[in-house]
Amino acid sequence: MALQRRLKPAPALVALAPALVVLPLGIVLLRDLHGGGAEQIGRFLLAALQPSLDPTLLKHQLAELQITALTALLAWSLSSLAGLLLGVLSSTTICSTLTGQHWPAVVLRRCLAPLRSIHELIWGLLLLQLFGLNGWVAVLAIVLPYSALLARVLADQLDQQKPPALIALRCAGVSAVINLFTSLMPPVAAALRDHIGHRLDCALRSALLLGIFGLGGLGTELMLSLQSLRFRELWSGLWLMALLLVLMNLVIRRLSARHGLLLLTLALPLVTLLWSQRLNHDLSLPRWIHGSPWPAWAQLRDGLTQAWVETPWLELVGGTLLITLLASGVAIGLPPLLRLIAPGDGAGRMLKAGWLLMRLLPPPLTALLLMLASKPTLAVAALALGLHHSGVMGLVLEDGLERVDGRDQQAMVALGAPRRSAWLFGVLMPASRRYLAYAAYRSDVILRDTAVVGLVGGAGLGWQLMEALSSFHWPQVGWLILVYAVLTLLGELASEQLQETA
Amino acid sequence: MAALELRRAGLTGRLQPLDLTIRLGETTVLLGRSGAGKSSLIGLCNGSLLPDEGRVLWQGHDLNRCRPTQRRQIGTLWQDLRLVEELTVLQNINTGALGRHSLLWGLRNLLQPLEPELGDVLLHQVGLSNGLRDQRVSSLSGGERQRVALARLLRQQPMLTLADEPLSALDPRLADDVLNMLLDQSSCVISLHRPDLMHRFQRVLGLRQGELVLDAAPSAITEATLAWLYSEG
Repeated sequence: MALQRRLKPAPALVALAPALVVLPLGIVLLRDLHGGGAEQIGRFLLAALQPSLDPTLLKHQLAELQITALTALLAWSLSSLAGLLLGVLSSTTICSTLTGQHWPAVVLRRCLAPLRSIHELIWGLLLLQLFGLNGWVAVLAIVLPYSALLARVLADQLDQQKPPALIALRCAGVSAVINLFTSLMPPVAAALRDHIGHRLDCALRSALLLGIFGLGGLGTELMLSLQSLRFRELWSGLWLMALLLVLMNLVIRRLSARHGLLLLTLALPLVTLLWSQRLNHDLSLPRWIHGSPWPAWAQLRDGLTQAWVETPWLELVGGTLLITLLASGVAIGLPPLLRLIAPGDGAGRMLKAGWLLMRLLPPPLTALLLMLASKPTLAVAALALGLHHSGVMGLVLEDGLERVDGRDQQAMVALGAPRRSAWLFGVLMPASRRYLAYAAYRSDVILRDTAVVGLVGGAGLGWQLMEALSSFHWPQVGWLILVYAVLTLLGELASEQLQETA
Repeated sequence: MAALELRRAGLTGRLQPLDLTIRLGETTVLLGRSGAGKSSLIGLCNGSLLPDEGRVLWQGHDLNRCRPTQRRQIGTLWQDLRLVEELTVLQNINTGALGRHSLLWGLRNLLQPLEPELGDVLLHQVGLSNGLRDQRVSSLSGGERQRVALARLLRQQPMLTLADEPLSALDPRLADDVLNMLLDQSSCVISLHRPDLMHRFQRVLGLRQGELVLDAAPSAITEATLAWLYSEG
């Protein structure tokens, strides 16, 4: 009878279980390890403490950092404004309150889904092929998915729960528009402010990533430094980026508290355009670089059919899903596992610093670093992606642990539980549910990010997409983007289900 | 004068079809056990619930087709208060006047609470200190929140006041204050769990298992009737 009972592991165990992927990953990496690279990785780690302080280099990196910041700020501001507008239009609550119908909002929401399902890097590479190297390419690459993502978040918030005041004011004869502004917007505003602030941080890291793939700014410099093994130069740039992230977060937090965020998003496009002129950064209107981009229908149909047949879909999709699974395991399981090994406050502070660094280092750079000591494999790609996202998850976990009041842990200690058991049952357990809810969302982001490491690790759809883009194989590019979009949307659905059950 | 009329209006599983006329200038108490259908009846009267059958008329017009100018003539003190938690006390009180003002006024109220003098008068009327007016309602105690909701209702200046168990979470003194203020409104329908207060009203309605079983003056109601109204089965 006992065997027939369904297993229902406690949330803390579910949070720890994904760390099991570290074992097979470790075995594969150890098998492929070559000693020559270990010295380089040691040099890389030491260089973090001795970054180059050469004034010429710093001046140059600062100029490039400004381009990254400018790209991110402009993209953030435009995507925030567009996202707010699209979010309001795609909210079924608003649509049905104003028009009595909710289908226009549903249609718009469905139309926006493909925009957000494609990673900004793919958008960047695609737009680069179409418009050539222009400052707007990186900006638009971020604006397209970010505005669709913000629209979804806003619409979800608006539709999630009808505030009781909405019905109360409607019954009191308040008109629909005033009612929406008074009873619906204020509850959403706080969460929205936090989300918009968080997106600036994301936009900065996206702008850095786009730079790594040749779209200008500090990312390009970091990639060149890494390729020539100049780790001290690399760390100068990384620390500058870290400073910028901290500074921006402080500014955003202060502005959020004073309701200045909207003003900032409104003012930024003009400010950044003026700033770009000072930096000689090309933000002129992008132009189509191909004379006639649309082939004849018959030619297109044949090309599409041939591309579909010749592409090894099973292998590519399988590779992408495997990278996602392994990377999610590392990202979700590693932070609680390390905390369980070292549950003390001091260790917590050290780990937090480590997570901040992990988050700072873009996955392609981590992948290249790992490849100094290992062959380019799917495991390297997964580990690089997993480590980057473990930085994010580690910070989420630490934040959650800080909210736990410690009374349960005291009770466990009083019961005579060992230190680690007391931490597991008294601290991790109450923090797990929230952590797992965020983990479900994060694995959806990881699926989208496989494009980034696929390009470096030589596996999955991302790698094939890079190949197709390099050889201007447009029918295959089209198919790959479509399959990526479908996979990401399916992943989104799965993560929503997981969040509901978490 | 008939203000609100329910004509064979019912809600499947909650309220059996009933005919009821609420007249202006009349104070009515609604009695019955928990789950008897009091909140459903209040919901039908203010239009937050649509009848599955029958009609609800406000001054001769279908309530759910009434324009906002007509809808605002019915005010409700909700059981769960339904304040906008993110706004201040004064901003919440002003939401009672949104039905009389333009969108611009509503937006200005979101930026900065308008007409603070009027708000102060209402705060005084409901027994709250002016010092609370810039506090967010989410930071107030249950009794204070109740009085903010009452101030919002007073700001609305409705012709008919509906209140769903407005005294349930209040101490006896505060409950007495709130009831007095509600009875000061010219017309009201108030659901209560306090049969001992029925003599303060002109009319008593009794609900039992979703059916309107009692409609009489308080003087005509005996202890035995009340015992039956509150009995099981």
